[in-house]
Amino acid sequence: MEKVKAPAVEAGQYDLVLDPEHLSLTIHESCGHPSELDRALGYEANYAGTSFLTTEKRGNFRYGSRYVNLVADNTEPETLAATGFDDDGVQCQRWDIVRDGIFVGYCTNREVAPKIGESRSRGSNRADGWENIPIVRIANIGLEPGSATVEQLIADVKWGIYIEGHGSYSIDQRRYNFQFGGDAFWLIENGRRTHMLRDVIYHGITPEFWNSCDGVGDRSFRRRYGFITCGKGQPGQSGWMTHAASPARFRRVHVIRGEGS
Amino acid sequence: MTVPSEKWPKMTGRDEFRFLSDLIFTRSSGDHTMVSLRDHHAGTTRFANNQIIQNVDARRGILTVTVAFDRRHGSASTTDFTAGSIQDMLTRAERIARVSPADPEYLPPPDPCLFPIRETAKSETVAAGPVKRLEYANEAIGHCRMENLMAAGVVSSSGTAVGIAADNGLFGYEYRADAGFSLTVQAGDATGWSAAAHRSIDHLKVQERTLAAIAKAKRGRDACELPAGHYPVILEPAAVAGLWTWLIWSLDAKSYVKGTSPFVGKLGQLVVDERLTLRNHPDHTDLLGEGMTHEGLPSTPSVWIDHGVLKQLAYDRFTAKAEGIHTIPTLEAPVLSLDGLSLHSVQDLIKNTERAILVSNFWYIRPVNPRDLMLTGMTRDGTFLVEKGEIVSPVKNFRFHESPLRAFQHLSAWTAPMEAVNSETRKMLVPAVALPHFYFSSVTRF
Repeated sequence: MEKVKAPAVEAGQYDLVLDPEHLSLTIHESCGHPSELDRALGYEANYAGTSFLTTEKRGNFRYGSRYVNLVADNTEPETLAATGFDDDGVQCQRWDIVRDGIFVGYCTNREVAPKIGESRSRGSNRADGWENIPIVRIANIGLEPGSATVEQLIADVKWGIYIEGHGSYSIDQRRYNFQFGGDAFWLIENGRRTHMLRDVIYHGITPEFWNSCDGVGDRSFRRRYGFITCGKGQPGQSGWMTHAASPARFRRVHVIRGEGS
Repeated sequence: MTVPSEKWPKMTGRDEFRFLSDLIFTRSSGDHTMVSLRDHHAGTTRFANNQIIQNVDARRGILTVTVAFDRRHGSASTTDFTAGSIQDMLTRAERIARVSPADPEYLPPPDPCLFPIRETAKSETVAAGPVKRLEYANEAIGHCRMENLMAAGVVSSSGTAVGIAADNGLFGYEYRADAGFSLTVQAGDATGWSAAAHRSIDHLKVQERTLAAIAKAKRGRDACELPAGHYPVILEPAAVAGLWTWLIWSLDAKSYVKGTSPFVGKLGQLVVDERLTLRNHPDHTDLLGEGMTHEGLPSTPSVWIDHGVLKQLAYDRFTAKAEGIHTIPTLEAPVLSLDGLSLHSVQDLIKNTERAILVSNFWYIRPVNPRDLMLTGMTRDGTFLVEKGEIVSPVKNFRFHESPLRAFQHLSAWTAPMEAVNSETRKMLVPAVALPHFYFSSVTRF
């Protein structure tokens, strides 16, 4: 009832505390897809899009703040991309995509890995069925836990919004300019969640957004969410992967009202 | 209808499907039994960075049976059409049905009917193989190489045998051919794009569309940045199709009845500009009309929006029965047209425009608020400023927040319907339009 009667958000800049389910989609769209090497090499330019994470950025581009560590782990049990071996026959692995905020690694297969001088594929080549050709797929990319509790993340917010769940989402073909909604929203005032809001939409530029992250919840808050309808390839295929995260805080993010915007 | 090619792989024919479905009906213990066939043979040639990156040919035949005991039903499928595998499929469906809860929305199969016969199978498409696809890919790549530009795209061709049968005598079979071409031309940060889909691979107009995409890419270089805000716009057909696809998806009758549709209470009322008419035209040679639906219903011509007034909703069979709808309309071959004098081309729209943003295409359109059909998305592959009848500059892409129900309340000018398809829309015939108001909420910066 509180959600139904909640007031619409006023547009402006807010600090955001994002719950793990919400972050799973943000990670998928703004980190997962741009870290697919076939996109970065232009293979998907006509359909799924390319990537702002072009190859010369590997190892030196500041993707996020020092709090941001995004790890691909296709070895974690009970996750959707942990298939043992990929469709190239390459053993599933764990590797860094973003380490201490720096972009360091791609999702690759045996076809594209040598094109950036890698001697071995990351084992991310998957098809959704026998009749389709395997293509580079997003791995189980997750945000590594930090050291804060959710209460601590919220306590240091004067004017912000806590967002749970998935809502509207849209991102450009290079995965650079994005917009996300959510399922449930709470206004944070002076370190406390006060009441629910509705029609919250936030937008930004991928590296600016991840560089505004100044806190990640600890491992006890880590949750995993599965994706089974990730569209890519022609003919179209559905990819499966899991994205895990602890809650995280982002500063001064642009928020607009969805309804009648 | 053209007979499917006898060359390998031999697709499941009408008589073979009838034999298989009769075999299933003979062995089924269900109160109702329904069988569907989708035997799909498709070739796809993809290219990027001016070279072929994928050339695949796949055949996948799938037979599905649904068995119902009263309102408890179960379905199972097989890709193996031998008698033993079909028996196994039937046994699995019966087992699932017996342990399933009663489905309050289950309906027995539709009554038998005569499905309209449509020209869905074009022999040139059925016969096309990798050589033909490569010829088209090479043509696109060659033109781009000559201009020192990068091409990425796809050429596809497929044939699909589709069948539906039930133990009450319902029987339909159709062979469908489809061909597709799309191309993104990259000129640095600028891109140009074009796409086509047709029953006939000979109607993809590869050269014409390639040259159009090249012209767009070259013209899009060195884009300037304009502030976000409200602008008059000229939307090319692909952009119109992107918005109207979401409008069409929102015509779902169940949402209307539940009260979650943006059209609630508007059936029989004016919902868009009164000169706009949306109809289903399954016999149009440039559209992908079909004879029947996957539910076993005939596809027929119908008017959905008549001079701006909403006339039809998209019914599932259960909702149709509950609402007393006897003939369920289909909309697989949409034509959006306008009364009154239309201009000949997009170029004519430009010539008649004092100031507007010209949008070639939209990308990643998603709903923001389904209640008022507020959508968001971005322009892509050519966004230009038009002033005093001319394109004066490319502009950086915009994100928009707009409802087609609001944007299409009044149109300033339009063309006749033209072929349109994009990465998320089915083939349509829609006009290019000039709209007086369109809201771009932010600039897409690269």
